[in-house]
Amino acid sequence: MKTDRLRALNVPESVAVELDADGQPAAVRRSKDKCGGQAVETVLDVWRTDDEWWRHSISRRYYEVMLDSGKRTVLFEDLHTGEWFIQKP
Amino acid sequence: MSKLVSDTAACCWIPLFALRCEVARMTGAAPSSSHPIALLSPDAGRRLWQVSPVARRAGVKPGMTVSQAIGLCPALKLCEPDPVHYDEQFSLLVAALATVSPVVEPVELGRAYVGTDGLEGLYGAPEKIVEVIQLRIANCGLRIGNASIESAIANPQSEIRVGCGRGKFVSWVAATRARPGAAVMVQPGEEGKFLASQPIAVLPLDPDTHRRLLQLGIRTLGALAALPEEAVVSQFGRAGRRLWRLAAGRIAEPVVGLVVPEPIVVALTFYSPVGERELLARTLDTLLDRALKHPRRIGWRVHAVCVHAELEHGASWRATATLKDPTADRERLAAPLKSQLEQAPPAGAVERLVVEFTAFAPGTAELQLFARDANAAARAGRRRALKSAVREIELRIKRPMLYHVIEVQPWSRLPERRYALIDYEP
Repeated sequence: MKTDRLRALNVPESVAVELDADGQPAAVRRSKDKCGGQAVETVLDVWRTDDEWWRHSISRRYYEVMLDSGKRTVLFEDLHTGEWFIQKP
Repeated sequence: MSKLVSDTAACCWIPLFALRCEVARMTGAAPSSSHPIALLSPDAGRRLWQVSPVARRAGVKPGMTVSQAIGLCPALKLCEPDPVHYDEQFSLLVAALATVSPVVEPVELGRAYVGTDGLEGLYGAPEKIVEVIQLRIANCGLRIGNASIESAIANPQSEIRVGCGRGKFVSWVAATRARPGAAVMVQPGEEGKFLASQPIAVLPLDPDTHRRLLQLGIRTLGALAALPEEAVVSQFGRAGRRLWRLAAGRIAEPVVGLVVPEPIVVALTFYSPVGERELLARTLDTLLDRALKHPRRIGWRVHAVCVHAELEHGASWRATATLKDPTADRERLAAPLKSQLEQAPPAGAVERLVVEFTAFAPGTAELQLFARDANAAARAGRRRALKSAVREIELRIKRPMLYHVIEVQPWSRLPERRYALIDYEP
C-alpha cells in the first residue's frame, strides 16, 4: 500500500457556530453557505471524546443536533482550541 | 444420446477435501494432525469453511468468524481458499473414476458416485471393484494430506472412504460409516437392516427438521421408518415423504453419469486462398470464439484443441495442442496454436480453416462445476467488467477519479481515522 496516496475520508470541516446562553450550539454556518447559517432546532445528544493523550492530546465535545431544516448533523468543539467542526458520525 | 445411469453405486468420499488439498500444498513440516488449521470460505464473508479435527477439538467450528476462531484457538493457522485448485484436484479424482466406469456423478468437492452396474463382468466381485477404484485414484496424481494416496491405500491414514450399495443414499451412508482407507459394502436386500441403526443426521435434512425430529425422540433411521409414512408426511410435508422413504430404504436413486460432449467443429472457407499469417491468426481467434460459444461446450473446459487447414493444390496443415490446465479462455487456447502457426506455418495459401475441440474436462475456472466455485467465477467476471469500466473512465477523464475505500483504524473513536481513500487500480 502506498501510504503517500492515501486520502483521509470524513475529514472534519470547519464551521462557525453560534452558542446560546447555555453554551450549546444555536446556529451553524458552513463556509460554503452563502445565505447565512441554519438554526439548531434541538440538541439530540452530547458526548465527549478524549484520545491520543500519549502524543497530541485530542479532546472533543460532540453534539448531535437537528437543524431547523430537519437534517441531523454532528458538530464538535475542539476543547483545546475552541474551534467548531462538522463531521459525519 | 442415451443417459448413463446405474442402480448400484460406489460412493467415494474424502472428507475435508479442500482443507486436505491446502495441507498437501504446504511445504516442509505441515503437521496436519497436530496443528490446528482452518480454511476460509471462498464467499465474500470472512468466515471459516473447513476446520481440521485438532481445531475442532479446540472449539473452532465452520461458519465462525475469524476473530471468534482466533479467540478460541490462538494457534489456529488460517488458509486462504483457492477454489480453482480444489476443482482441478477434484477433476483428477473424477477423471480417475471415469476410467473405472463410464457412469460417474460428482456431487461436491471430495464426493463422487461411481455407477457399478455390470462392472462385475470386467473386474469381478464388488470387493475387486472397490480395489480397482482405489488403485485408479492412487495413480491419478491427486495428493491430499501429507501422504500420497498410493502409499495410503493399505494405510489406515488414507482418507478415502468408499461405500457400496444399491442407490446413491445407501452408498453415501456406507461411505460415512467406512473407516479411512476402507470400504463398507451393503449387500442387496440388507439396505433396511443397515440403515435402521444409522443416525438421522445422515439424511439430507435442514437444521430445523433435524431439531424437530430429535425433539420427537427420533434419533435413528429405523425409528423414523417405524412410523407410518402418512404420519411423517403430515408433519413434514412432501420432504417428509422423501425422508421416510430414504430411511426405509424404499428409494434407490440411480447414479447419473455425465455425458462427455462430442467433438465441436467449426470451420471457415475463405473466398480466396489466404497466406497472411496475421489474417489466419485473426480467423483462428474468431473460430475459437465460435467454438467456445457452442451449447455443447457449456460446463466443460477444453482439454485438447486441433486446427487444420486445407491448402491450395490439395495439401494440408495441422496443429494440435493439449492443455495441461484445461480452459475455456480463448487466449489460452489460441496461444499454443499461434505459436505453431509462427514456427511451422502452412506451406501454401489456406482455402479452409477448421478448429476442433477434441477433448474436454468437467468444470472450468471460468464456469465452475460447483456452485461455490460458480460464485467465485461470477466474482471474477465482475472484476473483469470493473477493470474494463475503469479503463474506459480513465481514458475519458484523464485523471484518477476512482478510489478504493480501505480500512485504516476501523476501531478508532475519531471518525476521520477509520477509513481512507486510495486510487483504484484494477
